[in-house]
Amino acid sequence: MPPRSSSGSARGADAGAGVPLRFGDDLLLWASWLYYEEGMTQSDIARIIGVSRASVISYLADARTRGIVNISIETNRLRALSVARSLSEHFGLKDCLVIPSTGGERPLVESLGAAGAQALRALFRSGDTIGVGWGRSVLAAAKALSTEALQDIRVVQVTGSTSAHVPYTPAACATAMAAAIGAECIPLSAPAIVSTPELRDLLCRESPVREQLACLAELNRIVLGIASMRPSSTLHASGLLKDGPMFRDAYAGAVGEIAGHFVDARGLPVSGPLEARMIGITLEDLARVPQRIAIAGGVDKVPAILAALRGGHANVLVTDAATGAGILHAEGLSVPQVRPGQETVAGLPVRTRVKKFLNAPDEAVDEALEGAVADYAGFLRPVRGSNRALVALDGPRPGKVGVVIGGGAGHDPCFLGYVGRGMADAVAIGNVFASPPPGPILDATRAADGGAGVLHLFGNYSGDVMNFEMAAEMADSGGIAVRTLVTTDDVASAGERQARRGVAGNVLVFKAAGAAADRMLPLVEVAALARKANDRSYTIGVALEPCSLPETQRPLFAIGAGEMEVGVGIHGEPGVARQALENADDTADLVVDRILTAMDPKQGDEVALLLNSLGATPLMELHIIGRRVRQRLKARGVVVARSWAGHYCTSLDMVGMSVTMMHLDAELKGLLDHPCHTPAFRVAPVATG
Amino acid sequence: MAEVGVEDVMAVLREAAARLTEATEELGRLDGAIGDGDHGTTMARGFAAILRALNEVDPAATDLTALFALCAGSFLDAVGATAGPLYASGLLRAGAWAEGRKSLPAAEAPMLLVALAEGIGQRGKAAAGDKTMMDVWLPVAQAARTEQARGTPLAATLADLKEIAAQSAEATRSMTASRGRAARLGARSLGHVDPGAASAAILVAAFADVLALRAG
Repeated sequence: MPPRSSSGSARGADAGAGVPLRFGDDLLLWASWLYYEEGMTQSDIARIIGVSRASVISYLADARTRGIVNISIETNRLRALSVARSLSEHFGLKDCLVIPSTGGERPLVESLGAAGAQALRALFRSGDTIGVGWGRSVLAAAKALSTEALQDIRVVQVTGSTSAHVPYTPAACATAMAAAIGAECIPLSAPAIVSTPELRDLLCRESPVREQLACLAELNRIVLGIASMRPSSTLHASGLLKDGPMFRDAYAGAVGEIAGHFVDARGLPVSGPLEARMIGITLEDLARVPQRIAIAGGVDKVPAILAALRGGHANVLVTDAATGAGILHAEGLSVPQVRPGQETVAGLPVRTRVKKFLNAPDEAVDEALEGAVADYAGFLRPVRGSNRALVALDGPRPGKVGVVIGGGAGHDPCFLGYVGRGMADAVAIGNVFASPPPGPILDATRAADGGAGVLHLFGNYSGDVMNFEMAAEMADSGGIAVRTLVTTDDVASAGERQARRGVAGNVLVFKAAGAAADRMLPLVEVAALARKANDRSYTIGVALEPCSLPETQRPLFAIGAGEMEVGVGIHGEPGVARQALENADDTADLVVDRILTAMDPKQGDEVALLLNSLGATPLMELHIIGRRVRQRLKARGVVVARSWAGHYCTSLDMVGMSVTMMHLDAELKGLLDHPCHTPAFRVAPVATG
Repeated sequence: MAEVGVEDVMAVLREAAARLTEATEELGRLDGAIGDGDHGTTMARGFAAILRALNEVDPAATDLTALFALCAGSFLDAVGATAGPLYASGLLRAGAWAEGRKSLPAAEAPMLLVALAEGIGQRGKAAAGDKTMMDVWLPVAQAARTEQARGTPLAATLADLKEIAAQSAEATRSMTASRGRAARLGARSLGHVDPGAASAAILVAAFADVLALRAG
């Protein structure tokens, strides 16, 4: 049987005649799967696919040259296929096509469109009456699809028209799909939403609309998008859901929209003021369509897609691997991992209880503060009775802007180690990894105030932001002018600067701000320089082993024997990517690549370099990392003008390190060189000449 | 019980404190999966501070507004963190809603949860579906308003709110975090119940159970 025969419907996962849908038209992938994964002989494959053995050999060779079979792409594809199989089994789907989520330059919607087009090409048959919904993925699929092989096809717009100024309206999607497959297009000549139920009934009885609606009962396939209710959803721009308290309340229980209908987490319809005024396919009509193809992806859509699958509104799904895996996770199912057939090496025995020098875990922070305040008695003292707010002995003075820093405990020497002349004037300390409450922040603010206002400086975490905000409001009403700067140096945590979290770059920002204040600059300028220092700081952290909290003395999360966590934060939060363990140079390269991409320095530019241990990584390894970082910077023509290595901003006992670079200019360099005298950071006054 | 007074609210808070202490490890485990693992101890510590403050309270000499303000201050000073400002703002709002009264008509009691939800929402600015405690507080407040408007009997409303809170907490499993520290995990937060939503459901259950008992 010829492999490209268009007869017969798509089949499931079992090898048999015809190309199973999840391989699309990709014979190379199919042959590769059978050969490399199922371990079949080339003759067996030839028999199953229905081609000669010579063809199979050429397919396999072709698959290699075209990159279908190579270590990275192969893994992704196989995983995608396994996810597809699990989704099909769990939700009883007739078919499921899962595309790899990573590796391509194309936006997800285009990849979904291409995959959707491939699926539709395999599913559409001459003589079909095909319903078409709306959305970006549906439009992308229509645009990627082009076939002249079909005859006597009708495409029916299933949702009324909208006047929204977006390219993916119901009418546009139906028109594009009809054009792609040479079909007759049957529009729905009425608005999707009309003002009253009476008007809807009137319109539905009118001649063109009545006949158009009648076609909805004749559909044998339908292609749908699935919209999420999230603020970023295209739904809000679509004109289908007006914003307003009445709609918000009525549809508060909805998690998604499919074919103009809102559904809850179980896929049941949510009724509100719109249903009786809506013109388009009903959920009952939809349920009668034999093949309901949903094209949707993106992890923010997981609840919506899940609802559509649970409610049985779709029975064919085209999605991407991350979304598919997310759906399985959300259903409490494990995501199948395809592993090379090698034996697993047993890791070291997992420590269940991490040893620590503690008395009562609950007392750990206060006992540590008691010790630190005594150790650093030459630098700082408690503001009042409590060690949760400390002030520099030799910092605050009349006319000088006060610099107040703070955050959770567990980051030593952050934050109290930076209190002293030329750096921070006062600090507020919370519990382990938890922001201090407004009380001690306010105490620190008052203690640091020299009549010129106070700068609040802390990392970008929601707890710190809220507590400092409340303290600033109180200080403000007490007559102290407060400016706030949140540090956002962690490049791995988010694309845009203001969403990033603050990590070891804190230290350099504290240094710059403290120097500016020590030069007696006014609050506005101190804040502006702190902002500049922050905007030009870039950090990436990598963890090898998790940290453990004093309260539990258990690892906070697990990192596999052969893995490392890239983009890890300083609160023991898991990082943003888990990957195979690399050696020091490769790890440094990975970090430098990301920092340089974000920083984009020119030849001859200068940076300050901070090599930071996250707790348990020894200085020796920091130097090994630092060596490679310097080689890379040299090759790029970037000068390391200042550098530090050691424990600067830690995460309890985490094994790992972070690299921070501050992109210097003369002003920032001057601020870093300004003398300071604190427990953990000192710059000696230098006689210039 | 025609009225809900200071002692009833104190009983709710005591029960909530006991249940949160029991749930410390479980909440910590949930938080460890997607956050920094401290949510259990934070909530337990905060409610322990409320308990200590309640020991000093003479129910006859205080009103609901003062009681909630006391709880807000105790909770906030004890924990800070993220939960501190959120619950402090919520408790203050509940107190403000009580307008200095010593007791409320029992049928109005669920509106305390509405005020609490509004206070938390205003401080944290999280939206539905962000995978936060608001994914419990929003539907609970919504249901409380609806039942109030319908005039549903208190016992039925309380049972309903408890059920909705539990379901809503469970539903966070399918959400991707977009606020708080878990936001940085993106899709990796899927499949895990949000710890803040779980503790919110515990609070709603304590509220419902205690008032149902004292109403009976």
